[in-house]
Amino acid sequence: MSEISLPDAVEVALELLGKDGGVVIGGNSATNNLRWANSTLTTNGDSIDQTLSISAFVSVTGGVATGMSSGQIRSRADVEALVNASKASALSAGPAPDAMELVRGPIDKNFSEPALDLDVSEISHISAGLSEVFSNRAQEFFGYAEQSLDTTYVGTSSGTRMRYSERTSRFELCAKSSDRRRSAWSGQGGTSLKDVDVQKHLLDVSQKLDIQLHQVDTAPGRHRVTLSPSAVSDLLIYMLWSSAARDAAEGRSAFSNVKGGTRVGEKLSDRKLTLATDPRIKGIETFDHVVNLGSSALGSAFDTGLEIGRSEIISDGVLTGLGSSRHAALEAKLPFTPLTDNISLVDSSGDGTLADLASRMGEGLLVTCLWYIREVDPQNLLLTGLTRDGVYVVSGGEIIGSTNNFRFNESPIDMLSRVIDAGETVPCLPREWADWFSRAQVAPLTIEGFNLSTKSDAV
Amino acid sequence: MARVKEPRKTLEMIQIPNTPAPELLASAALETATKNGATVAQFRLAKHDMRGVSLRDGDVENIGSESNVALSVRVVHSGAWGFAATTELTLQGAVDTAVRAIAVAKISAQVAADEVILADEPVHGKKSWTLPIEIDAFGKSDSEIIEFLQNWNRKISTSSIVSHIESNIGMGRDETFYADLVGNEIFQQRDRISAALTAIHVSDSGFEDMRTCAPPAGRGWEYLTGTGWDWETEIERIPEYLDEKVKSPSVKPGAWDLVIDPTNLWLTIHESIGHATELDRALGYEANYAGTSFATIDKLGNFKYGSPIMNVTGDRNSAHGLSTVGYDDEGVASQQWDLIKDGILVGYQTDRSIASKIGMDRSNGCAFADSALHSPIQRMPNVSLQPGSEDLTTKDLISNVESGIYIVGDKSWSIDMQRFNFQFTGQRFHEIKNGEIVGQLKDVAYQSKTPDFWASMRQLGGKNTYLLGGALNCGKGQPGQVAPVSHGCPSATFTKVNVLNTRDESAK
Repeated sequence: MSEISLPDAVEVALELLGKDGGVVIGGNSATNNLRWANSTLTTNGDSIDQTLSISAFVSVTGGVATGMSSGQIRSRADVEALVNASKASALSAGPAPDAMELVRGPIDKNFSEPALDLDVSEISHISAGLSEVFSNRAQEFFGYAEQSLDTTYVGTSSGTRMRYSERTSRFELCAKSSDRRRSAWSGQGGTSLKDVDVQKHLLDVSQKLDIQLHQVDTAPGRHRVTLSPSAVSDLLIYMLWSSAARDAAEGRSAFSNVKGGTRVGEKLSDRKLTLATDPRIKGIETFDHVVNLGSSALGSAFDTGLEIGRSEIISDGVLTGLGSSRHAALEAKLPFTPLTDNISLVDSSGDGTLADLASRMGEGLLVTCLWYIREVDPQNLLLTGLTRDGVYVVSGGEIIGSTNNFRFNESPIDMLSRVIDAGETVPCLPREWADWFSRAQVAPLTIEGFNLSTKSDAV
Repeated sequence: MARVKEPRKTLEMIQIPNTPAPELLASAALETATKNGATVAQFRLAKHDMRGVSLRDGDVENIGSESNVALSVRVVHSGAWGFAATTELTLQGAVDTAVRAIAVAKISAQVAADEVILADEPVHGKKSWTLPIEIDAFGKSDSEIIEFLQNWNRKISTSSIVSHIESNIGMGRDETFYADLVGNEIFQQRDRISAALTAIHVSDSGFEDMRTCAPPAGRGWEYLTGTGWDWETEIERIPEYLDEKVKSPSVKPGAWDLVIDPTNLWLTIHESIGHATELDRALGYEANYAGTSFATIDKLGNFKYGSPIMNVTGDRNSAHGLSTVGYDDEGVASQQWDLIKDGILVGYQTDRSIASKIGMDRSNGCAFADSALHSPIQRMPNVSLQPGSEDLTTKDLISNVESGIYIVGDKSWSIDMQRFNFQFTGQRFHEIKNGEIVGQLKDVAYQSKTPDFWASMRQLGGKNTYLLGGALNCGKGQPGQVAPVSHGCPSATFTKVNVLNTRDESAK
């Protein structure tokens, strides 16, 4: 065992940082995972990682400078080494443009309590469910289940002592026909694997593979498309990451107004769409205070300890906010808008399920999920990527079969102006970004003229 | 268990204060694994150090360092893999981790359908290997690195075309110790370094940017001072390149002949050949995540991947390669082999367990884990397109194109889950007319299907155009792992490739 606990290490580091202070974050991350392919378990494992990260603040000519260091700690000497490294970096850095007074955030009474342990039984229930999945010899199964429990200790020289735990889980099941010409996927994100019904996912992918028995060739072009909540979330998460107020104010983002300033106040959609991050949304709760070690266009170490409430980027179809630190908000002359680790998209007149939405679409394509999303042009936030594991043809309001995959070229900002229908907001797992961002509740959307630019032969 | 201090052996390279020697940790883990019935046991101790500095408009945005160290034990028990890892670097931690790995293997064996069989590998015994560098970048002080970057900024900050500048330097060092039941004890160390500078122009008609094209490399600080890349000349020309781009016309979409510079082509090789020739993908192991491959094993030896002038190798021993190493994470010695010969698919990248699945006598050494907290999986070696037999220059290639585009530097990339349909952009698109460059174009993306694209390759540059490109952020696996990898290639000419206008592609 380590000679020093994480909460004690945070206290020691703050003491060693001295009067100029800083931010110290201790993280304990426990993870279990199962992976399977070709209907057999392949790799699985469990790991525990403990890391201490320090952002040292040092008074220099003209202001306050910062420097960071991070690593595992086994003794007080390790903490001293990290503090010395962060201070040395800060001394070289020069005054930080985003320097502001640290707030005195919460002081949690349970700050010194040990990190929580993972409940292994939650992943065992997945393992048991897979035995039955693998017994289905008509199909091949691939997938991944993971649960993690992160306990984080945050201390600042302004007196903040926060301890919080976050559980994150994901379950993904991909089924392929034995000739691998059909492929379907079902995913579920959340905070616990307890809620995962493996049989329900098996039924879902099996039904999708059956629909794919009828294949219809579709040419690329601009199509009316209904995007699943997973597909919508992947596009909007990238938009959220690109919504920095600082970049927009400097004229270097798709949210910049070319005549100066930002596009805040501009109507992006005729639909009453509201895009927000909110740490208190039930089912995708996340920590409700700023925790930042370094600086970026979206955050600042100096904001650590500030409370995060609901931040709306789009309200009733109008761009109303851009992500920021306090300093960036001041520079951009916009309200301070800290973003947190979840996303919500609600259409106030959204109604029904994904299936209902596809039915109302009449004629068009239903997209299960998206993959390999990358930015093509930052000026308009044009993104490219692929449809994956199921594009279904809707005719006369009925799903009549499936079609080939496509490469899309679309801007999520511009796409919002072409939303013609929306369903009810539901939890979903962002297929592309789930490694980094898995807390999403999003409405499925029907888009007019979605640019399915070229055909993909991939299955 | 109390800490044990033992005299260091001569091969020892990893310096972790107040921890038992790596060999002692390994012995504790491997003995425990053997006692508990493991037929294979592999111990890894890995330390990863990183430093980075980023400037935004000349001010330090972030500066810091990170050091991670952990040990892991991977076993085969009852025919199944078991893996466990910890950051507790004690003899008891090593023993407990071995016990956990055995427990995981036993659970896996209840559901696993296939028995793990490893391809044979000679025993290498006690070895050490270090990637050669000239100047230790980790020996540079923070202030030296900042001043170095700020000097780069000053070279272009007075240009009227430059509204903003972003720049960064990053460096990494891996120190590993591998030991197993057959007697291997291997210490290794390798370094890498990267840097970039981006100039941004903002006007009332929008914004454009231009970035340096230098790839990351398996080198030390000498790389930033002129060994392997001419930074001074490139940075001085950035405002000129940016100015020309801002004023350039938008491309007319359609079929264009392309001369692709190695600074762009390396990424196309990475996505359309590197990942497509990973045997684990071809077998389906990545089907839920990174995807599979069109290059399935029935195509080995007979599939026409590209034109007859196409020869691609895999290796883990290129000088300054980001995937270069002495031995992989299963104790397999580094090698070089053919992946594509005269345009035909002839090889794959393997680790020991998947090599045995297709009857290979020996793995070509592509097992890799990005930290001791992760299990080794098959990862990409340096995958490189060989230069042409005739020593043509890039100018020679351009002179043979009547109407086309010369593409330099990488930017946006995306490819489908079977590695067919790809789309790439770049930093600069120089229009070619009658064998001469006449100016830049903008809003260019090229899109194709892998076999079609490589079949259209009609001319290769010679050795004088060959460059080792690469990336630090190649992602694969669940849980996700990141690997550095290099790709060498010459300039090359491709016929009638589909070029998109990215402004037309957006709805506006």
